[in-house]
Amino acid sequence: MKKKLRLSLIVLLIVFSLLISSTVLAQEEDRFGGTLNTAFQMSVAHLDTDNSTDSMISAMMNHVYEGLFEFDENLNLTPHLAASYEIKENGLVYDVKLREDVRMHNGELMDADDVVASFRRWLEINNGGQLVAPHFDEIEKLDQYNIRFKFEEVYAPFLNILASPVSNQKFVVRAEEVIDEFGTDVIDRHVGTGPYKYEEWVPDQKLVLTRFEDYTPSPREGSFFAGERIPYLNKIVFNFIPDAQVRVSGVQTGQFHFAEEVPRDQYQIFKMDQNIKNVIIYPDRMSMLIFNNAEAPFDNKYARQAIAYALDFEELGYAMIGDPQFWRLESALHEKGNPWHVSDAGSGIYGVYDPEKAKQLLERAGYDGQPLVILSGQDNQMERQGAIAIQDQLEKIGIDVELQLFDRPTVVERRAKKEGWHMHLSPFIKVVPDPQIHQGWTGTNKWITNWDSKDSRQMDQIFAEMLREVDYEQRYKIVERMQAELWDSVPYFNILDYSRLHIRRTELKNFQAGWQPFFWNTYLE
Amino acid sequence: MLFLKKYKKYEHSYITTSIIILIILISLSLFAPLLTDYNPVRNNARNRLQPPSKEHLLGTDQYGRDIFTRILYGLRTSIEVGISVVILTVIFGGIVGIVAGYYPQIDKIIMRVLDAMMAFPGIIIAISLAAIWGAGKLNIILALSFAYFPKMARIIRSAVISIKDLDYVDSARAAGANDLRIIFKYILKNSASPIMVQATFNFALAILDEAALSFLGVGIMPPAPSLGAMVTDARTYMVVAPWMILAPGMMIILSVLSLNLLGDGMRDLLDPHLKNTLKK
Repeated sequence: MKKKLRLSLIVLLIVFSLLISSTVLAQEEDRFGGTLNTAFQMSVAHLDTDNSTDSMISAMMNHVYEGLFEFDENLNLTPHLAASYEIKENGLVYDVKLREDVRMHNGELMDADDVVASFRRWLEINNGGQLVAPHFDEIEKLDQYNIRFKFEEVYAPFLNILASPVSNQKFVVRAEEVIDEFGTDVIDRHVGTGPYKYEEWVPDQKLVLTRFEDYTPSPREGSFFAGERIPYLNKIVFNFIPDAQVRVSGVQTGQFHFAEEVPRDQYQIFKMDQNIKNVIIYPDRMSMLIFNNAEAPFDNKYARQAIAYALDFEELGYAMIGDPQFWRLESALHEKGNPWHVSDAGSGIYGVYDPEKAKQLLERAGYDGQPLVILSGQDNQMERQGAIAIQDQLEKIGIDVELQLFDRPTVVERRAKKEGWHMHLSPFIKVVPDPQIHQGWTGTNKWITNWDSKDSRQMDQIFAEMLREVDYEQRYKIVERMQAELWDSVPYFNILDYSRLHIRRTELKNFQAGWQPFFWNTYLE
Repeated sequence: MLFLKKYKKYEHSYITTSIIILIILISLSLFAPLLTDYNPVRNNARNRLQPPSKEHLLGTDQYGRDIFTRILYGLRTSIEVGISVVILTVIFGGIVGIVAGYYPQIDKIIMRVLDAMMAFPGIIIAISLAAIWGAGKLNIILALSFAYFPKMARIIRSAVISIKDLDYVDSARAAGANDLRIIFKYILKNSASPIMVQATFNFALAILDEAALSFLGVGIMPPAPSLGAMVTDARTYMVVAPWMILAPGMMIILSVLSLNLLGDGMRDLLDPHLKNTLKK
């Protein structure tokens, strides 16, 4: 009797577990299928990431191509097409082992030849590659699945730039045959390793991608761009819709499942709509106030410091972005959670609203009361509203300000000049792979700051040290010094970080808010 | 004055209504500093996008500025632009029109040049000039005057031509009056009515086009208030803060409508025969 009971219990247990697992399987199976319609704001000129700095291209082609390394949710570098890597000879040599089972869209297995060909092209024409090239020696194929990168001198940010989320810097692997065919010309036949493959591109209208049935996902756990990617959707259509209101109504009526960058002030309206979910992007932009360090009064650091004291950053947040859930005060170039975050950056000056001190500092700098010119863009909300608000705040404490708002190309042209402007407001991308990236903006006469003084040469020195240091702890200390120096001489400063707002339909499940939208691992219900 | 004499006789309701509205609008803009405690450009962003209330009669905008205040000052900008454009077009149009009408030798050349200018819509000329010269109140005034003066010149020319061969002009000439005296004393004085009608229309058109230029971002520079620029700013917030677009929009409608009514009324009043020939 007892035996019978036990037996029936076991049978019951087996039946149950079978039932449960089959429903789980069925759910998993249900996720596959469907066509996703998305609305993106900008059309692109072509789809070759190496040949452009347009980050919109990589946002879409991330589905088609993959990197040797990718960043996860916390901006940690993770091997992706690479299986493992080793840094040798104090950072002069990088040995990378590739995953051996990765199939490409042409049916062949990816191997070292594809990587070497893609890398040479990247080094020659890609923006990120050109950063690396002056320090780089050569790439060697050790065997079918092993590669060696050799440097002439230590270049610490190398791996971070390979996986860079900035514009189109990321190194992705393309099939060797395609590179043989196109060389450095713009590629229009796309053979990658990604979960989706290229199907159709109608310029200024749409890009259609379809599932790659033989996709081999990474064995690591999926997290943003790194790890496992599952292509649940049959098709992804990227529609190019420049007008924000059209993108919004497309999602409201169900024509699109996803819309990129919609007006932040309509957040409450989307919230009330049961079919729509707001997607707030992790603050991935910072609003930078840049000084013309070559022209009086801002050729003196006390005058530059004065402006930081003269501005009420919180009030600026409301004026240039609006709803406080879309912006946060952050003094560091790398945000909290980033391995390079310096928590006490700018303490004592950042966010300290002290107009009296500002006036004293201006006096110390010998400011003669001349009108200060703010140069800013008129099409971007942050630039336009921020400049107007800064003018208002400076005028409140008696500084004469002239506002110059122009379209983007005019702003870019004018800010490149040494004269004619004093301050310039511009958005910077917050999500950067490595502190070295700031070298391009900081230091003697870099980018647009026209900074050339004892302080700027000290900053050059800091970056030169950072370039050679491979140890994280040591390098972090240099970053701390860089931040301290930046807040002392203030060639430019970060006012705040702000988010962008996307919206999606509720049918679109498992969507994660990355710095670039991606749709692997998402499915339609 | 001729105008007042006729006015009593006709008792035209268009004119009465529009003049009342205009007087209200002009006094609103003139006495703006007395009517509001706020400054039109000072921000108070923590107080942004507030709906109409006792403190803010028409609500606040995205910088927390009082919309009622900005409308009063925006109206001031509109009226300034309108009046300046009217004065400039009358001066330029007057000179060109009189020269063309009075001296037939150069009439053809001037008229063909003006024809060419009139082939382009006025707003297109104004946009291109504003884009070349840069935004700003003075540039807007110049651009709009340049765009409108050919029409004014044509009207004055035809008035001059129709008057200059009348008997009383001939007799003045026979009495020894020189060209200048004849033009000012006999011709201009008697062609005042079409000029006044056209000037009123130009006034309305200038307000509308200033709003349009500012709406497109080539007009009045922010943060100075302008009705057109307020409408542009409000577009993004239309769904969340409809008061932002309604108030300046209504103000543009009101001022342009009243000026147009005034122009129509004056035309009927001064010269019913012109009604068909002068239609805009």
